[in-house]
Amino acid sequence: MPIVEKRAKPESIERIREIVGTDSVRTSKADLYVYGFDAGMHRSMPDAVVRPQNAEQISQIVKLANEHDFAIIPRGAGTALCGHNTPVAGGIILDLQKMNRIKEINPGDLLCVVEPGVICDDLNNALKKYRFFIPGPASSEAATLGGMVAANASGAKALKYGATRDYVLGLQVVTPTGEIIRCGTRTLKNSSGYQLEKLFVGMEGTLGIITEITLKMAPLPEKTAACAAAFKELVEAGQTVADIIAVPIFPAQLEIMSDICVKAVNKATGLGLPECGGFLLIACDGHPEAVKDEIRKVKEICEKNGAFFIDYTEDAKRIEELWKGRKQMLASLSVIKPEFSTVMLADDMAVPISKVPDAVKGFLEIQDKYDIYIPPYGHAGDGNLHTKVLLNPENKEHWLQAEKAVREIYDLVLQLGGTVTGEHGVAISKAEYFKKERADSIPFMRAIKRALDPKNILNPYKIFDWDESFLSNLRYPVEFSKKEA
Amino acid sequence: MKNSYSDLEKLKNEMLTCTMCGFCKNVCPVFLDAGWDTGSPRGRMTMAYGLVTGELEPDENLVNRIFQCTQCRDCARRCPSSVKCPEVVLSARRELVKRGQAVETQMAVAKNIIHTGNLYGDLEVAYPEQEGEVPLFIGCQHLSRPNSTKRNILLMQRLGIKPRIVKEVCCGFPLEVMGFEEEHEKQVERLKEAFSFDEEPILTFCPGCKVHLEKISGKKILHILQEINNRLAKEQIAKPVNAKITYHDPCDLSRGAGIFQEPRDILKKLGCEIIEMKYIKNASRCCGGGGGILTWDSGLSERMSMARIREAIATGAEMVVTACPTCEQTLKKGALKITEENGNKPFPVVHILDMLFKATKQSHLPS
Repeated sequence: MPIVEKRAKPESIERIREIVGTDSVRTSKADLYVYGFDAGMHRSMPDAVVRPQNAEQISQIVKLANEHDFAIIPRGAGTALCGHNTPVAGGIILDLQKMNRIKEINPGDLLCVVEPGVICDDLNNALKKYRFFIPGPASSEAATLGGMVAANASGAKALKYGATRDYVLGLQVVTPTGEIIRCGTRTLKNSSGYQLEKLFVGMEGTLGIITEITLKMAPLPEKTAACAAAFKELVEAGQTVADIIAVPIFPAQLEIMSDICVKAVNKATGLGLPECGGFLLIACDGHPEAVKDEIRKVKEICEKNGAFFIDYTEDAKRIEELWKGRKQMLASLSVIKPEFSTVMLADDMAVPISKVPDAVKGFLEIQDKYDIYIPPYGHAGDGNLHTKVLLNPENKEHWLQAEKAVREIYDLVLQLGGTVTGEHGVAISKAEYFKKERADSIPFMRAIKRALDPKNILNPYKIFDWDESFLSNLRYPVEFSKKEA
Repeated sequence: MKNSYSDLEKLKNEMLTCTMCGFCKNVCPVFLDAGWDTGSPRGRMTMAYGLVTGELEPDENLVNRIFQCTQCRDCARRCPSSVKCPEVVLSARRELVKRGQAVETQMAVAKNIIHTGNLYGDLEVAYPEQEGEVPLFIGCQHLSRPNSTKRNILLMQRLGIKPRIVKEVCCGFPLEVMGFEEEHEKQVERLKEAFSFDEEPILTFCPGCKVHLEKISGKKILHILQEINNRLAKEQIAKPVNAKITYHDPCDLSRGAGIFQEPRDILKKLGCEIIEMKYIKNASRCCGGGGGILTWDSGLSERMSMARIREAIATGAEMVVTACPTCEQTLKKGALKITEENGNKPFPVVHILDMLFKATKQSHLPS
């Protein structure tokens, strides 16, 4: 869909000031510039940054946007990785970080109710004393729950505990035309019609603005044990993953890292992991006796597959250290080579678990063709693999190589029966390949968007409506002509 | 203006290395105060990038945000990519000061240092000059409190330390953090004329001076607590404190110098029961007194100190002890402000050296 600017004019911004108060609207160039960036690769300046306090104010703003035809981009902590928060057609950023009240924690009903700006780790700190938690992404110390729902975020624990989708019982949403609706329930199950609360999961801000979330809670496991194993070859690690799942054992976390990733973590954290071709981090949690049995079996499988180093621990401090390294992986990679930076490309493909070794092997073969690094790592237990492209962001040739490599990676992923995104979303950076993956269902998705958002107000030109290459709107100091991209 | 930010340009790689993961946001006291991304370390990095690329002009809003950073360095500790965010801010400040963007209050502080050699512009500073065995650098903050400085010197003597004291001048740290580059360089020259770095180690009372003197001289500078911890024996404690206390780690002493165990060891020797706050040691939160914000944005500084005092009160301790004169004063202001709100007695804020003096021997000097 060709981009038509949907800018907020000064008179619209003035009306917004009347709705939320002058202090909650920012229009200085510095503010607009900063909010044009997020954790993805793209950028574009909004016309205003607006911080609403409640659903009623948001409803009024959305109605105004329909009347004045400007775009609204809802935003939490700005930790999205694929261009979700980039105002490609202008408009206003709706900064929801200050709608951050935990409204209810109800252990008896197994649920909690939060506003969208609550940070995942803050909620988990509050839930801890009730012995519950919500599994979060690696960015849980920064990411907000509204953003997690909108992106269907998940992380290392998805194999056993599922993704954000699996925790959403109900939502309050401001629709693209400004109605405030409640969908879902406060019950653990419901068969009452269309599961609309799930429709808003993964919609990336294109179908509504989430103003309240009712979440199911998972019981905090009594005990966790971990096993770290190093293999000479990455494929041996990949095979170990498939063997563990096939037992069947469902570890709470099962992470794979390639050699570059291990080096990066060591450099950034000083953890001192052994240098190897493939590294696995495995955690089992639950009842102490069950955990003991599971982790022992895991260890045996690692040994059988040729692990030359095994660190087996029930020590909470050591476990925390090991996972801290993994949690910092993404950012750690950027310190590998001074002029290289991590860019969010080919960042979270998922393949069927049994295809993990094939995928890993294929990614390494693709990497070898180019001057850039494409180190594979990921939540191998649920088939979710990351590569992350490491390149010199000022080097145009690197970007063009990346474009080719990413295309090959996605072709391989689709060939293996996978998806281009397991947990980060589509937005801009994955739109091209997503359209290939979901060719059949895109007309339906588009029909839903057109029906609910006839004026294309909410986060326009994303997902199936992004027609350009991921090389446009880059936040890095390179520019590509239409022909080049 | 494009490409004219040559100082900042050198740090462009830091800006590009930043993955914008946002982990720096929730450790930054400025972001935690108001919650706008522009006030976060990531936001400041982005604005610096905008200056380098020529897309942003140094307007009032940008300048204000760049100078709101307290230089607490917690962002650098948390950054998984080891991005030097505080250095980017300092570089941006230097660039802005060069362009005449310093405010009057900070220029006044700079003039004080340049014209009098003292942070407060105090021409009547009484330097307790004396001969001794170990060179001591007292620092402007402590010099401005002659009574407590006398007590600190007595304390050293009780512990067998014989400090040698000369007429010193400001170490220049405030000039550096406020972005007065040229003035800072000249001040370092003046310092080296007034104070000899020939003999090591040099002792100092002030965490900021400790970090800065080490940086500019490359010599071994010890914070007084390091020396005290080595020397303090149980029999020297005449009057144990026996109180439940919490300890506020000054940024320069903990994150800056890695000294967070020594004060705790001393407090334990004094008979204190330490109840820790949520954010401690190298993850301590700024008191609101760093980076020049006391003169740039006193309201923000006050809110930060109130947040830290509330954290201290929440421990259930009877008082908060710290080891930095700036932290002490800033936290006292925060405690007073909370008193204005709730009518309770101000939460006590105590400098560890004062506590040590009282515990080691009854003082006949005014307290």
